[in-house]
Amino acid sequence: MASKRICKELQDLQKDPPTSCSAGPRADDDIFHWDATIIGPADSPYQGGLFFVAIHFPPDYPFKPPKVNFKTRVYHPNVNSQGSICLDILKEQWSPALTISKVLLSICSLLTDPNPDDPLVPEIAQIYKTDRGRYEELAKEWTRKYAM
Amino acid sequence: MSADDGELSQGSAADYEDDDDAFADDTACLNAAEHVVVPRAAYQCFGAVEVRAKQSEAIARVVAVLQVNTDEATQLLRTFKWNVNTVNEEWFADEERVRTSAGLLPRDADASEPEPERVVRCGVCFEDFSADASTNPGCRHDFCGECWRGYLENAVDNGPSCLDARCPHEGCGARVTEALARRFLSDAAAEKLSTFQWRSWVDDNPRVKWCVGPGCERSVQIDVVRGERPVDVTCHCGTSFCWQCQEQAHRPVDCETVRKWLIKNSAESENMNWILANTKPCPECKRPIEKSMGCMHMTCSQCQYQFCWMCQGKWADHGERTGGFYACNTYEKEKKYTKNFSEDEKRRALAKSSLERYMHYYERWLAHGSSQVKAVNDLKEMTESKIARLGDLQNTPASQLKFVMDALEQIAECRRVLKWTYGYGFYNMEDDGMKKKFFEYIQADAEVGLERLTKAVETDLEEFFHEEKTAEEFDTFRGVLTGLTSVTAKYFKTLVTELEEGLPGVESEAVDAAGGGKKPGVLTRLAAAGGGAGK
Repeated sequence: MASKRICKELQDLQKDPPTSCSAGPRADDDIFHWDATIIGPADSPYQGGLFFVAIHFPPDYPFKPPKVNFKTRVYHPNVNSQGSICLDILKEQWSPALTISKVLLSICSLLTDPNPDDPLVPEIAQIYKTDRGRYEELAKEWTRKYAM
Repeated sequence: MSADDGELSQGSAADYEDDDDAFADDTACLNAAEHVVVPRAAYQCFGAVEVRAKQSEAIARVVAVLQVNTDEATQLLRTFKWNVNTVNEEWFADEERVRTSAGLLPRDADASEPEPERVVRCGVCFEDFSADASTNPGCRHDFCGECWRGYLENAVDNGPSCLDARCPHEGCGARVTEALARRFLSDAAAEKLSTFQWRSWVDDNPRVKWCVGPGCERSVQIDVVRGERPVDVTCHCGTSFCWQCQEQAHRPVDCETVRKWLIKNSAESENMNWILANTKPCPECKRPIEKSMGCMHMTCSQCQYQFCWMCQGKWADHGERTGGFYACNTYEKEKKYTKNFSEDEKRRALAKSSLERYMHYYERWLAHGSSQVKAVNDLKEMTESKIARLGDLQNTPASQLKFVMDALEQIAECRRVLKWTYGYGFYNMEDDGMKKKFFEYIQADAEVGLERLTKAVETDLEEFFHEEKTAEEFDTFRGVLTGLTSVTAKYFKTLVTELEEGLPGVESEAVDAAGGGKKPGVLTRLAAAGGGAGK
């Protein structure tokens, strides 16, 4: 079930690739580990950056959510230094009707609109809420440093 | 009240309180017998069969009033914590909102045409399959059988939350009906679902909690939840626990203090257990001494110094002044450091004293705890074998020997209370004030009273097993033991109440007493309850 569904998703991604991201298996013989890239959204301080993301499908995918981590450092209230992402659809809001393509799009919109009220890195959330300019400056700096 | 039991008639809709008494007659939990120290709150103990019956009854009432099906009624009850009244109120206040939040389909959904078979794409595996009315929960989001099974089995693996599984379609809140779930679940998973279903009546019901006894499947419902006050209950399996915090029964101490005390114990217990279990220095020659057996009266094998293992004080000082030989409960932090110690030693001693203060209370808490365990075991042994033997020896029917059980039960209960008075003392008796003196005085008094009762059972009763005794002697013993049990019960009952109230009036009354020689009220009340030591 899992590998069949993952193949379907891969086919769909190749047939109709989303504009802001791409994804595919890391190696030909292992369909459960993917690498993906996300292009920093134009209306965000991450603009111009290219972010690498690792995706790991559990054996009971899609009934369990995939594990998704940033491989590129990101200055963001909902992404920590390990690359973990705090996103509801990757946890309790996961539904088997969701796909990797939808997950990647959700991550893009998370980059544009952080959720500082449910932060993974409280310090960044604090700066985001109190000094937006400073946050954007730091996010841009990290993007230049790590994602270009 | 039991007359209403079967009735599902509307009209008297407000009977949530009442219907809980349905089982009161036949299963009322350990009767609040007079000899039990801590006054029992009104509560009932249910086994699985009774829980299922209560659940069915509540469901039937909702079905009858709201005109919904059983599955929907169950979901509504779970949403509103198994309170029939709340379900009714919420439903009639805003049916649409309730339906949406509980995941029920709109009322008119049922009226639609039966769905014809059609080929659709499964929203999970993206394969085409032939859908029918039973491949969606009424919201027309169809998924193939294999994906339903995968989805639902995963939900069941995640625990009781599967009872509220919703349609997998993004943003669709339609609840998966029981029929749909059972169509696709494997037998093993369906079995689990059934378990979650009946257990939900306890899990989701704020007035009912599971018994904490190992392997016990009973639950306890209290009739009135009174804020945060501790509520000691005893399940039919014999486990006593606090209904509020699910720790071991702990009145007169409040739940928060118990929590702090148990955390403190677990943090310190590794060191403490080793120290307590292994050695103590001889107070005279300081050689480490291991207590391997016997009573608290220690004699150093090297210097022959005699001391009390509990307080390490001189044995000769143990008598009336400390409340009797076996009632060593007075904590005096300076006791051991008054004798010719160097400044350095005094400093070290001071640093140790906070730990020692804790040790003082912990040791006694622990010791009374193990006595409590022993008392419970004694009771068990008595019930299982000894009582029948005693009946034979004394030619008395078992029903007439209940006074022995009452005494043993009383001892176990008193040990439990006494144990917790040490947790109480640690947190509430930090100053060496009048209150602390009184506290220790009445605690010692209680210990003496309890020891007297214990002796009657452990020594006097044993004689009836081993020696020829006349019926008159047995009758006399019966009278004595019954009297002791009742006096001790009353004394402890008053003690618990006084401690829970925080020993009211001790400070002021003590001053009066010093001036005018009047007895403080606490003591008067305790004396009225039977005066433990009979001083």
